[in-house]
Amino acid sequence: MTLAIILIVAASLALIVILGISFSRALQVSGDASVSKRVQPLDVDAFRNLIDPTEREYLRSRLPGAEFREVQRQRLRAMAAYVQVAGRNAAVLVNMAQGGLASSDAHTAEAARQLIDGALLLRRNAAFALLKIYIAMAWPDWDMAAAPILNGYVQLNGAAMLLGRLQNPAEPVRISAR
Amino acid sequence: MLQAHSFLWNYLWVAPNLLLFALGILVWLRGLRRQLPAFLAYAVLSSISGLALFAADVIPSVSAVNFWRIDWLSLSVETFVKFVAIGEIFSRVFNPFRSISKLGKYSVSAVGAVLVFGATFLAAISPGDSTLRLISGAHLLELTVYIVESGLVLFIFLLVAYFRTPWDRVSFGILVGYGVSSCVHLSLWAIMTNAAPTAHQRTIFDFVNMATFHVTVLIWYYFLLVPAQRSRPSSPKNNSDQGPSDPPAGGSPQDHEGTLNEWNRELERLIHQ
Repeated sequence: MTLAIILIVAASLALIVILGISFSRALQVSGDASVSKRVQPLDVDAFRNLIDPTEREYLRSRLPGAEFREVQRQRLRAMAAYVQVAGRNAAVLVNMAQGGLASSDAHTAEAARQLIDGALLLRRNAAFALLKIYIAMAWPDWDMAAAPILNGYVQLNGAAMLLGRLQNPAEPVRISAR
Repeated sequence: MLQAHSFLWNYLWVAPNLLLFALGILVWLRGLRRQLPAFLAYAVLSSISGLALFAADVIPSVSAVNFWRIDWLSLSVETFVKFVAIGEIFSRVFNPFRSISKLGKYSVSAVGAVLVFGATFLAAISPGDSTLRLISGAHLLELTVYIVESGLVLFIFLLVAYFRTPWDRVSFGILVGYGVSSCVHLSLWAIMTNAAPTAHQRTIFDFVNMATFHVTVLIWYYFLLVPAQRSRPSSPKNNSDQGPSDPPAGGSPQDHEGTLNEWNRELERLIHQ
Protein backbone atom coordinates (compact mmCIF):
# COMPACT_ATOMS: atom_id res chain seq x y z
CA MET A 1 0.00 0.00 0.00
CA THR A 2 2.87 2.36 0.88
CA LEU A 3 4.43 1.69 -2.51
CA ALA A 4 1.11 2.46 -4.21
CA ILE A 5 0.89 5.80 -2.39
CA ILE A 6 4.47 6.70 -3.32
CA LEU A 7 3.85 5.85 -6.98
CA ILE A 8 0.55 7.76 -7.05
CA VAL A 9 2.20 10.85 -5.57
CA ALA A 10 5.10 10.56 -8.03
CA ALA A 11 2.75 10.10 -10.99
CA SER A 12 0.58 13.04 -9.89
CA LEU A 13 3.61 15.31 -9.53
CA ALA A 14 4.90 14.21 -12.94
CA LEU A 15 1.50 14.94 -14.50
CA ILE A 16 1.36 18.37 -12.86
CA VAL A 17 4.85 19.21 -14.13
CA ILE A 18 4.09 17.98 -17.66
CA LEU A 19 0.79 19.86 -17.87
CA GLY A 20 2.36 22.93 -16.24
CA ILE A 21 5.16 23.05 -18.82
CA SER A 22 2.68 22.39 -21.63
CA PHE A 23 0.31 25.17 -20.62
CA SER A 24 3.07 27.63 -19.80
CA ARG A 25 4.54 27.15 -23.27
CA ALA A 26 1.20 27.11 -25.05
CA LEU A 27 -0.31 30.05 -23.24
CA GLN A 28 2.75 32.15 -22.61
CA VAL A 29 1.38 35.61 -21.99
CA SER A 30 4.34 37.87 -22.06
CA GLY A 31 2.34 41.03 -21.47
CA ASP A 32 4.59 43.94 -22.17
CA ALA A 33 7.69 41.86 -21.65
CA SER A 34 9.86 43.57 -24.24
CA VAL A 35 13.42 42.52 -24.75
CA SER A 36 14.79 45.37 -22.69
CA LYS A 37 12.67 44.16 -19.78
CA ARG A 38 13.41 40.49 -20.17
CA VAL A 39 17.13 40.78 -20.81
CA GLN A 40 19.16 41.45 -17.72
CA PRO A 41 22.22 43.56 -18.45
CA LEU A 42 25.49 41.75 -17.89
CA ASP A 43 28.63 43.69 -16.98
CA VAL A 44 31.07 41.83 -19.20
CA ASP A 45 34.18 43.60 -17.81
CA ALA A 46 33.28 42.85 -14.22
CA PHE A 47 32.59 39.23 -15.18
CA ARG A 48 35.96 39.08 -16.96
CA ASN A 49 37.67 40.35 -13.80
CA LEU A 50 35.93 37.77 -11.66
CA ILE A 51 37.08 34.83 -13.75
CA ASP A 52 40.60 36.16 -14.36
CA PRO A 53 43.02 33.56 -12.89
CA THR A 54 45.76 36.19 -12.34
CA GLU A 55 43.37 38.18 -10.15
CA ARG A 56 42.75 35.05 -8.13
CA GLU A 57 46.46 34.30 -7.81
CA TYR A 58 47.09 37.87 -6.75
CA LEU A 59 44.51 37.57 -3.97
CA ARG A 60 45.92 34.23 -2.89
CA SER A 61 49.45 35.66 -2.64
CA ARG A 62 48.31 38.73 -0.71
CA LEU A 63 45.73 37.38 1.70
CA PRO A 64 46.03 34.90 4.55
CA GLY A 65 44.45 31.50 3.86
CA ALA A 66 41.17 31.96 5.75
CA GLU A 67 40.64 35.47 4.44
CA PHE A 68 41.39 34.37 0.87
CA ARG A 69 38.82 31.60 1.11
CA GLU A 70 36.18 34.02 2.41
CA VAL A 71 36.90 36.54 -0.36
CA GLN A 72 36.99 33.76 -2.95
CA ARG A 73 33.57 32.52 -1.78
CA GLN A 74 32.14 35.99 -2.24
CA ARG A 75 33.68 36.15 -5.72
CA LEU A 76 32.19 32.75 -6.53
CA ARG A 77 28.74 33.92 -5.39
CA ALA A 78 29.02 36.91 -7.69
CA MET A 79 30.25 34.62 -10.48
CA ALA A 80 27.22 32.37 -10.00
CA ALA A 81 24.93 35.38 -10.33
CA TYR A 82 26.63 36.40 -13.58
CA VAL A 83 26.44 32.88 -14.99
CA GLN A 84 22.74 32.67 -14.12
CA VAL A 85 22.06 35.95 -15.92
CA ALA A 86 24.03 34.77 -18.97
CA GLY A 87 22.01 31.54 -19.03
CA ARG A 88 18.70 33.40 -18.74
CA ASN A 89 19.65 35.80 -21.53
CA ALA A 90 20.55 32.79 -23.70
CA ALA A 91 17.05 31.41 -23.11
CA VAL A 92 15.54 34.73 -24.22
CA LEU A 93 17.64 34.51 -27.39
CA VAL A 94 16.43 30.98 -28.12
CA ASN A 95 12.83 32.16 -27.95
CA MET A 96 13.48 35.15 -30.14
CA ALA A 97 15.49 33.38 -32.83
CA GLN A 98 12.69 30.86 -33.43
CA GLY A 99 10.99 33.31 -35.77
CA GLY A 100 14.10 33.40 -37.96
CA LEU A 101 13.90 29.66 -38.54
CA ALA A 102 10.71 30.21 -40.54
CA SER A 103 12.38 32.66 -42.89
CA SER A 104 12.27 31.90 -46.60
CA ASP A 105 15.76 33.38 -46.85
CA ALA A 106 18.28 30.57 -46.39
CA HIS A 107 20.90 32.87 -44.85
CA THR A 108 18.46 34.18 -42.26
CA ALA A 109 17.24 30.69 -41.38
CA GLU A 110 20.83 29.48 -41.06
CA ALA A 111 21.78 32.48 -38.91
CA ALA A 112 18.78 31.79 -36.67
CA ARG A 113 19.77 28.14 -36.37
CA GLN A 114 23.34 29.10 -35.47
CA LEU A 115 22.10 31.60 -32.93
CA ILE A 116 19.87 28.99 -31.29
CA ASP A 117 22.71 26.47 -31.33
CA GLY A 118 25.05 28.98 -29.70
CA ALA A 119 22.47 29.98 -27.12
CA LEU A 120 21.73 26.35 -26.25
CA LEU A 121 25.46 25.67 -25.91
CA LEU A 122 25.81 28.65 -23.60
CA ARG A 123 22.85 27.49 -21.54
CA ARG A 124 24.33 24.01 -21.27
CA ASN A 125 27.74 25.39 -20.29
CA ALA A 126 26.08 27.72 -17.78
CA ALA A 127 24.47 24.74 -16.05
CA PHE A 128 27.84 22.94 -15.79
CA ALA A 129 29.61 26.12 -14.70
CA LEU A 130 27.06 26.70 -11.94
CA LEU A 131 27.64 23.17 -10.71
CA LYS A 132 31.40 23.79 -10.67
CA ILE A 133 30.93 27.11 -8.88
CA TYR A 134 28.84 25.54 -6.14
CA ILE A 135 31.48 22.82 -5.69
CA ALA A 136 34.20 25.48 -5.64
CA MET A 137 32.33 27.31 -2.85
CA ALA A 138 32.99 24.28 -0.67
CA TRP A 139 36.65 24.18 -1.77
CA PRO A 140 37.60 27.77 -2.64
CA ASP A 141 41.20 26.70 -3.36
CA TRP A 142 39.99 24.74 -6.39
CA ASP A 143 40.78 26.48 -9.63
CA MET A 144 37.62 26.43 -11.74
CA ALA A 145 37.43 27.97 -15.19
CA ALA A 146 34.35 29.95 -16.25
CA ALA A 147 35.98 31.53 -19.29
CA PRO A 148 33.91 29.45 -21.77
CA ILE A 149 30.77 31.14 -20.46
CA LEU A 150 32.13 34.62 -21.13
CA ASN A 151 33.49 33.65 -24.55
CA GLY A 152 30.20 31.98 -25.42
CA TYR A 153 28.26 35.06 -24.36
CA VAL A 154 30.37 37.36 -26.50
CA GLN A 155 30.03 35.02 -29.50
CA LEU A 156 26.30 34.92 -28.93
CA ASN A 157 26.13 38.69 -29.16
CA GLY A 158 27.78 38.46 -32.58
CA ALA A 159 25.37 35.78 -33.76
CA ALA A 160 22.37 37.83 -32.62
CA MET A 161 23.70 40.89 -34.44
CA LEU A 162 24.15 38.85 -37.63
CA LEU A 163 20.60 37.54 -37.47
CA GLY A 164 19.30 41.06 -36.84
CA ARG A 165 21.15 42.39 -39.87
CA LEU A 166 19.84 39.60 -42.11
CA GLN A 167 16.30 40.13 -40.86
CA ASN A 168 16.38 43.86 -41.41
CA PRO A 169 19.19 45.06 -43.69
CA ALA A 170 17.75 48.58 -43.80
CA GLU A 171 18.77 49.12 -40.24
CA PRO A 172 22.43 48.13 -39.89
CA VAL A 173 23.61 47.26 -36.42
CA ARG A 174 26.56 49.16 -35.09
CA ILE A 175 28.79 47.16 -32.88
CA SER A 176 31.91 49.27 -33.20
CA ALA A 177 32.55 52.25 -30.93
CA ARG A 178 30.21 55.16 -31.51
CA MET B 1 -23.31 0.96 -16.86
CA LEU B 2 -19.99 0.69 -15.06
CA GLN B 3 -19.78 -3.06 -15.42
CA ALA B 4 -17.48 -5.26 -17.41
CA HIS B 5 -18.80 -5.98 -20.92
CA SER B 6 -21.41 -3.24 -20.73
CA PHE B 7 -21.90 -1.05 -23.81
CA LEU B 8 -19.61 1.65 -22.36
CA TRP B 9 -16.98 -0.96 -21.57
CA ASN B 10 -17.04 -2.31 -25.11
CA TYR B 11 -17.06 1.18 -26.58
CA LEU B 12 -14.05 2.31 -24.50
CA TRP B 13 -12.12 -0.80 -25.47
CA VAL B 14 -12.89 -0.74 -29.21
CA ALA B 15 -13.36 2.92 -30.16
CA PRO B 16 -9.93 4.30 -29.13
CA ASN B 17 -8.20 1.46 -30.96
CA LEU B 18 -10.27 2.02 -34.11
CA LEU B 19 -9.58 5.76 -33.85
CA LEU B 20 -5.86 5.13 -33.38
CA PHE B 21 -5.79 2.85 -36.41
CA ALA B 22 -7.61 5.51 -38.44
CA LEU B 23 -5.10 8.08 -37.17
CA GLY B 24 -2.29 5.86 -38.45
CA ILE B 25 -3.94 5.78 -41.88
CA LEU B 26 -4.41 9.56 -41.84
CA VAL B 27 -0.78 10.06 -40.83
CA TRP B 28 0.18 7.89 -43.80
CA LEU B 29 -2.13 9.71 -46.21
CA ARG B 30 -0.98 13.14 -45.07
CA GLY B 31 2.61 12.29 -45.89
CA LEU B 32 3.79 12.26 -42.27
CA ARG B 33 5.00 8.67 -42.53
CA ARG B 34 8.56 9.74 -43.32
CA GLN B 35 8.61 12.14 -40.40
CA LEU B 36 6.94 9.83 -37.91
CA PRO B 37 7.62 6.23 -38.95
CA ALA B 38 7.84 4.96 -35.37
CA PHE B 39 4.65 6.70 -34.25
CA LEU B 40 2.89 5.35 -37.35
CA ALA B 41 4.08 1.84 -36.42
CA TYR B 42 2.87 2.42 -32.86
CA ALA B 43 -0.57 3.58 -34.03
CA VAL B 44 -1.06 0.59 -36.31
CA LEU B 45 0.47 -2.16 -34.15
CA SER B 46 -0.96 -0.91 -30.86
CA SER B 47 -4.47 -0.61 -32.26
CA ILE B 48 -4.32 -4.03 -33.93
CA SER B 49 -3.05 -5.66 -30.73
CA GLY B 50 -5.74 -3.86 -28.69
CA LEU B 51 -8.47 -5.08 -31.04
CA ALA B 52 -7.02 -8.60 -31.06
CA LEU B 53 -7.13 -8.58 -27.28
CA PHE B 54 -10.76 -7.46 -27.35
CA ALA B 55 -11.59 -10.27 -29.79
CA ALA B 56 -9.84 -12.76 -27.52
CA ASP B 57 -11.91 -11.44 -24.62
CA VAL B 58 -15.29 -11.85 -26.32
CA ILE B 59 -14.72 -15.02 -28.37
CA PRO B 60 -15.83 -17.91 -26.12
CA SER B 61 -13.45 -20.44 -27.67
CA VAL B 62 -10.39 -18.48 -26.47
CA SER B 63 -9.37 -19.89 -23.11
CA ALA B 64 -8.37 -17.68 -20.18
CA VAL B 65 -4.76 -18.83 -20.43
CA ASN B 66 -4.65 -18.01 -24.12
CA PHE B 67 -6.20 -14.61 -23.43
CA TRP B 68 -3.36 -13.77 -21.03
CA ARG B 69 -0.78 -15.07 -23.50
CA ILE B 70 -2.23 -12.73 -26.12
CA ASP B 71 -2.16 -9.96 -23.51
CA TRP B 72 1.55 -10.59 -22.91
CA LEU B 73 2.29 -10.54 -26.63
CA SER B 74 0.21 -7.41 -27.17
CA LEU B 75 1.88 -5.65 -24.26
CA SER B 76 5.37 -6.58 -25.46
CA VAL B 77 4.77 -5.34 -29.00
CA GLU B 78 3.08 -2.14 -27.81
CA THR B 79 5.86 -1.41 -25.32
CA PHE B 80 8.60 -1.85 -27.91
CA VAL B 81 7.06 0.41 -30.53
CA LYS B 82 6.01 2.94 -27.89
CA PHE B 83 9.57 3.46 -26.68
CA VAL B 84 10.84 3.65 -30.25
CA ALA B 85 8.20 6.34 -30.89
CA ILE B 86 9.26 8.30 -27.80
CA GLY B 87 12.88 8.05 -29.01
CA GLU B 88 11.75 9.36 -32.38
CA ILE B 89 10.13 12.40 -30.78
CA PHE B 90 13.25 12.99 -28.70
CA SER B 91 15.36 12.98 -31.88
CA ARG B 92 12.97 15.39 -33.61
CA VAL B 93 13.28 17.86 -30.76
CA PHE B 94 17.00 17.68 -29.98
CA ASN B 95 18.84 16.43 -33.09
CA PRO B 96 18.52 19.71 -35.05
CA PHE B 97 20.75 21.39 -32.44
CA ARG B 98 24.29 20.04 -32.41
CA SER B 99 25.18 21.82 -29.20
CA ILE B 100 22.82 19.76 -27.06
CA SER B 101 21.98 16.68 -29.15
CA LYS B 102 24.85 14.61 -27.73
CA LEU B 103 24.21 15.73 -24.17
CA GLY B 104 20.53 14.93 -24.69
CA LYS B 105 21.25 11.45 -25.99
CA TYR B 106 23.64 10.62 -23.16
CA SER B 107 21.40 12.02 -20.47
CA VAL B 108 18.23 10.35 -21.75
CA SER B 109 20.12 7.03 -22.01
CA ALA B 110 21.35 7.40 -18.44
CA VAL B 111 17.91 8.37 -17.14
CA GLY B 112 16.36 5.49 -19.09
CA ALA B 113 18.79 3.00 -17.56
CA VAL B 114 18.12 4.31 -14.03
CA LEU B 115 14.37 4.14 -14.64
CA VAL B 116 14.56 0.56 -15.91
CA PHE B 117 16.54 -0.54 -12.86
CA GLY B 118 14.27 1.38 -10.49
CA ALA B 119 11.08 0.08 -12.12
CA THR B 120 12.38 -3.50 -12.07
CA PHE B 121 13.19 -3.15 -8.38
CA LEU B 122 9.74 -1.73 -7.61
CA ALA B 123 8.08 -4.52 -9.60
CA ALA B 124 10.14 -7.07 -7.69
CA ILE B 125 8.98 -5.79 -4.31
CA SER B 126 5.35 -5.37 -5.40
CA PRO B 127 3.12 -8.10 -3.99
CA GLY B 128 1.22 -8.54 -7.29
CA ASP B 129 -2.52 -8.95 -7.61
CA SER B 130 -2.96 -12.58 -8.55
CA THR B 131 -1.68 -15.96 -7.51
CA LEU B 132 -1.34 -16.85 -11.18
CA ARG B 133 2.05 -15.68 -12.37
CA LEU B 134 0.81 -15.22 -15.92
CA ILE B 135 -1.69 -12.59 -14.73
CA SER B 136 0.29 -10.85 -12.01
CA GLY B 137 3.35 -10.83 -14.29
CA ALA B 138 1.41 -9.03 -17.02
CA HIS B 139 0.16 -6.44 -14.53
CA LEU B 140 3.62 -5.90 -13.06
CA LEU B 141 4.99 -5.49 -16.57
CA GLU B 142 2.34 -2.79 -17.14
CA LEU B 143 3.48 -1.07 -13.94
CA THR B 144 7.15 -1.27 -14.98
CA VAL B 145 6.44 0.08 -18.45
CA TYR B 146 4.47 3.06 -17.13
CA ILE B 147 7.14 3.93 -14.55
CA VAL B 148 9.79 4.05 -17.29
CA GLU B 149 7.50 5.80 -19.78
CA SER B 150 6.32 8.53 -17.42
CA GLY B 151 9.88 9.09 -16.19
CA LEU B 152 11.25 9.42 -19.71
CA VAL B 153 8.48 11.75 -20.86
CA LEU B 154 8.90 13.89 -17.75
CA PHE B 155 12.65 14.08 -18.35
CA ILE B 156 12.16 15.19 -21.96
CA PHE B 157 9.70 17.86 -20.81
CA LEU B 158 12.18 19.10 -18.19
CA LEU B 159 15.01 19.21 -20.74
CA VAL B 160 12.85 21.17 -23.17
CA ALA B 161 11.74 23.52 -20.40
CA TYR B 162 15.30 24.15 -19.27
CA PHE B 163 16.79 24.74 -22.71
CA ARG B 164 13.62 26.42 -24.10
CA THR B 165 14.16 24.25 -27.16
CA PRO B 166 11.73 25.03 -29.96
CA TRP B 167 9.58 22.03 -30.78
CA ASP B 168 6.97 21.47 -33.39
CA ARG B 169 3.29 20.98 -32.72
CA VAL B 170 3.27 17.32 -33.71
CA SER B 171 6.13 16.31 -31.39
CA PHE B 172 4.60 18.33 -28.56
CA GLY B 173 1.17 16.75 -29.01
CA ILE B 174 2.46 13.20 -29.19
CA LEU B 175 4.55 13.68 -26.07
CA VAL B 176 1.68 15.32 -24.15
CA GLY B 177 -0.46 12.32 -25.03
CA TYR B 178 2.14 9.86 -23.80
CA GLY B 179 2.69 11.97 -20.67
CA VAL B 180 -0.98 12.12 -19.67
CA SER B 181 -1.62 8.48 -20.44
CA SER B 182 1.49 7.15 -18.67
CA CYS B 183 0.94 9.17 -15.47
CA VAL B 184 -2.73 8.18 -15.12
CA HIS B 185 -2.02 4.55 -15.99
CA LEU B 186 0.91 4.46 -13.56
CA SER B 187 -1.33 5.62 -10.69
CA LEU B 188 -3.99 3.04 -11.48
CA TRP B 189 -1.61 0.13 -11.96
CA ALA B 190 0.17 1.10 -8.74
CA ILE B 191 -3.14 0.65 -6.90
CA MET B 192 -4.08 -2.51 -8.76
CA THR B 193 -0.76 -4.27 -8.15
CA ASN B 194 -0.15 -3.07 -4.60
CA ALA B 195 -3.44 -2.27 -2.85
CA ALA B 196 -5.55 -5.36 -3.54
CA PRO B 197 -8.68 -3.57 -4.79
CA THR B 198 -12.05 -5.34 -4.91
CA ALA B 199 -13.41 -6.71 -8.17
CA HIS B 200 -15.76 -3.73 -8.55
CA GLN B 201 -12.97 -1.24 -7.88
CA ARG B 202 -10.82 -3.06 -10.43
CA THR B 203 -13.58 -2.70 -13.00
CA ILE B 204 -13.80 1.04 -12.28
CA PHE B 205 -10.03 1.32 -12.71
CA ASP B 206 -10.31 -0.49 -16.03
CA PHE B 207 -12.88 2.08 -17.14
CA VAL B 208 -10.58 4.94 -16.12
CA ASN B 209 -7.64 3.28 -17.92
CA MET B 210 -9.62 2.89 -21.12
CA ALA B 211 -11.11 6.39 -20.89
CA THR B 212 -7.62 7.83 -20.44
CA PHE B 213 -6.43 6.01 -23.55
CA HIS B 214 -9.43 7.43 -25.42
CA VAL B 215 -8.55 10.96 -24.29
CA THR B 216 -4.94 10.37 -25.33
CA VAL B 217 -5.99 9.34 -28.83
CA LEU B 218 -8.17 12.46 -29.10
CA ILE B 219 -5.20 14.61 -27.99
CA TRP B 220 -3.15 13.06 -30.81
CA TYR B 221 -5.96 13.73 -33.30
CA TYR B 222 -6.02 17.37 -32.25
CA PHE B 223 -2.29 17.95 -32.51
CA LEU B 224 -1.65 15.86 -35.63
CA LEU B 225 -4.65 16.82 -37.71
CA VAL B 226 -5.87 20.25 -36.60
CA PRO B 227 -3.62 22.96 -38.03
CA ALA B 228 -2.10 25.53 -35.69
CA GLN B 229 -3.72 28.95 -35.51
CA ARG B 230 -1.85 31.30 -37.78
CA SER B 231 -3.50 34.61 -36.97
CA ARG B 232 -1.09 36.45 -34.72
CA PRO B 233 -1.03 40.10 -33.89
CA SER B 234 2.03 41.85 -35.22
CA SER B 235 2.74 43.70 -31.99
CA PRO B 236 6.24 42.82 -30.81
CA LYS B 237 5.05 42.19 -27.30
CA ASN B 238 3.10 39.19 -28.52
CA ASN B 239 6.01 37.74 -30.41
CA SER B 240 8.65 37.65 -27.78
CA ASP B 241 7.68 34.22 -26.59
CA GLN B 242 5.73 31.43 -28.12
CA GLY B 243 4.30 28.07 -27.42
CA PRO B 244 4.53 24.93 -29.46
CA SER B 245 3.28 25.33 -32.99
CA ASP B 246 4.10 24.23 -36.51
CA PRO B 247 7.75 23.99 -37.33
CA PRO B 248 9.59 26.09 -36.50
CA ALA B 249 7.22 27.10 -33.76
CA GLY B 250 5.15 29.59 -35.71
CA GLY B 251 5.33 33.29 -36.41
CA SER B 252 6.63 34.84 -39.59
CA PRO B 253 10.02 36.54 -39.67
CA GLN B 254 8.25 39.88 -40.01
CA ASP B 255 6.44 39.24 -36.75
CA HIS B 256 9.75 38.98 -34.99
CA GLU B 257 11.46 41.85 -36.75
CA GLY B 258 10.47 44.41 -34.20
CA THR B 259 11.58 42.20 -31.35
CA LEU B 260 14.92 41.48 -32.99
CA ASN B 261 15.57 45.16 -33.58
CA GLU B 262 14.80 45.76 -29.95
CA TRP B 263 17.17 42.95 -29.01
CA ASN B 264 19.90 44.42 -31.21
CA ARG B 265 19.56 47.78 -29.54
CA GLU B 266 19.77 46.10 -26.16
CA LEU B 267 22.89 44.18 -27.18
CA GLU B 268 24.52 47.35 -28.43
CA ARG B 269 23.81 48.92 -25.07
CA LEU B 270 25.32 45.94 -23.28
CA ILE B 271 28.46 45.95 -25.39
CA HIS B 272 29.04 49.64 -25.01
CA GLN B 273 28.38 49.89 -21.31
